[in-house]
Formats: sequence, C-alpha cells, structure tokens
Amino acid sequence: MGHPGEPPEPPPGLQTERTTLAWLRTALTFLVGALVLLKLVAHTRPRLAVGAACVLLPVAGVVSGLAVLRHHSGNREHEPRPLVDGTLPAGITLLAVLVAALGALYVLAG
Amino acid sequence: MSAPSHETRRRPHRVYREGTDPDPRFSLANERTFLAWLRTAMALMAAGVGIEAVNTTTALLHAPLVTALAVLLLIGGVLISAVSFTRWATTEKALRTGRPLPPPRMGAFLGYGLAAVGVAVAVLLVLLGF
Repeated sequence: MGHPGEPPEPPPGLQTERTTLAWLRTALTFLVGALVLLKLVAHTRPRLAVGAACVLLPVAGVVSGLAVLRHHSGNREHEPRPLVDGTLPAGITLLAVLVAALGALYVLAG
Repeated sequence: MSAPSHETRRRPHRVYREGTDPDPRFSLANERTFLAWLRTAMALMAAGVGIEAVNTTTALLHAPLVTALAVLLLIGGVLISAVSFTRWATTEKALRTGRPLPPPRMGAFLGYGLAAVGVAVAVLLVLLGF
C-alpha cells in the first residue's frame, strides 16, 4: 500500500465518507459561527450585517454542496475527479478569513 | 490514472505540477487534518468574539485588556487558517513526490499560545477580583 505510482490502487472505503462528514462539520461550524456573529453585528450595524450575510451564508452553502459532490464523484470508479484539488480548501480558508474580518470589526468597532 | 491535461487543471498548480497521485486515503487524511485545523481556528475566533460579547454586556473585567485578548485570539485564528492551507498544500506535494512531510509546527504554536492565554486570563481574574 501507499507507494506513489504503484498501479493497484486500494479502494478508499469509508474514508471518503469520513472526509465528507468532516467537510460538513466544518461548514456547519462556520455557518453557526457566522450566524451568531451576524446577530451580534446586527445590533449596531444592521446594514453591514445584511451585506455580510449575503456573502457568508451562500459561501458556506456552496462549500457544503461542493464538498458532498466531490466525494460522490470520487466514489465512481476510474472517473476523473475535477473537484478533488485545492480549490475547495482555498474556498473554505477564504470563508474563515472573512468571518475573522467581521469578528475583528465587531471586536474593535462594535 | 489521470491524463496530463487533467493534472494541469488542478489547482494550486505548484502542488499538482510534480509527482503522481498518492494512495487516495493519504490525500483524504490530509484533507481531514486541514479541516480539523480550520475548525480549531474557528474555535479560537469564536472565543475571541465571545469574550468581547461578554465584555460589552457585563463590563466586569477591565475592558481594554479583554478586547486585546479578543484581538489576539482572532489573529491566532486567521494565522492558523492561512498556515493550515499552505500546510495542506505542502503535505499534498510531499505525498505526491514521496518526500518527507513538513514538521508539525502549528501544534506547538497553538499549545504554547493557549497556555500563555490561559495563564494571562487566570492572572487577570485574580488581579481584578473575578
């Protein structure tokens, strides 16, 4: 098992499922975190909260959807998996940075 | 496995330019580790926003110090998010080329950092009489 380039590739088994669940767990964490933060921001800056919600919530939803799709297509045998690269990890990192930016705004300018 | 044209479409290019696809289980484990770090980063950010929210509603603690701690936690969260992505990329490249994995520096950073935050909060609580 495991040497790069070795022809017979063992099936990933339940690993894809665990990975999909990890993606959903993470997306859900961001969704809940963003909702709580938006609620806090909405007290003082309702317009900003609505604007941020229009960005953060769709991004979290799209990440969840793509996370499920990529591993579903990965389960089909010998099919190219176009989504299985760094795009989705980069996307969720961007989501983390956006949430942090909104959090910094709340903490510093309340 | 995959055609060269497929490889060139995968991003980031610096990861997929070299080597061959490893055992998919390794890639999946790498991805899960990245996600676990991201959740940790989110927990730090939530802690930062949370203590500031408590700070503004109760004002029992010394407000500027709590805000500084909140900012520190948020910065920690952003740092861990960014570094965990570059670490995912470095690890994936190492798996593809059969080179050794990058050393786990973030664990020590987070461990010592949280220990320092814990001590600071304990001292603050004692000094300010809870």
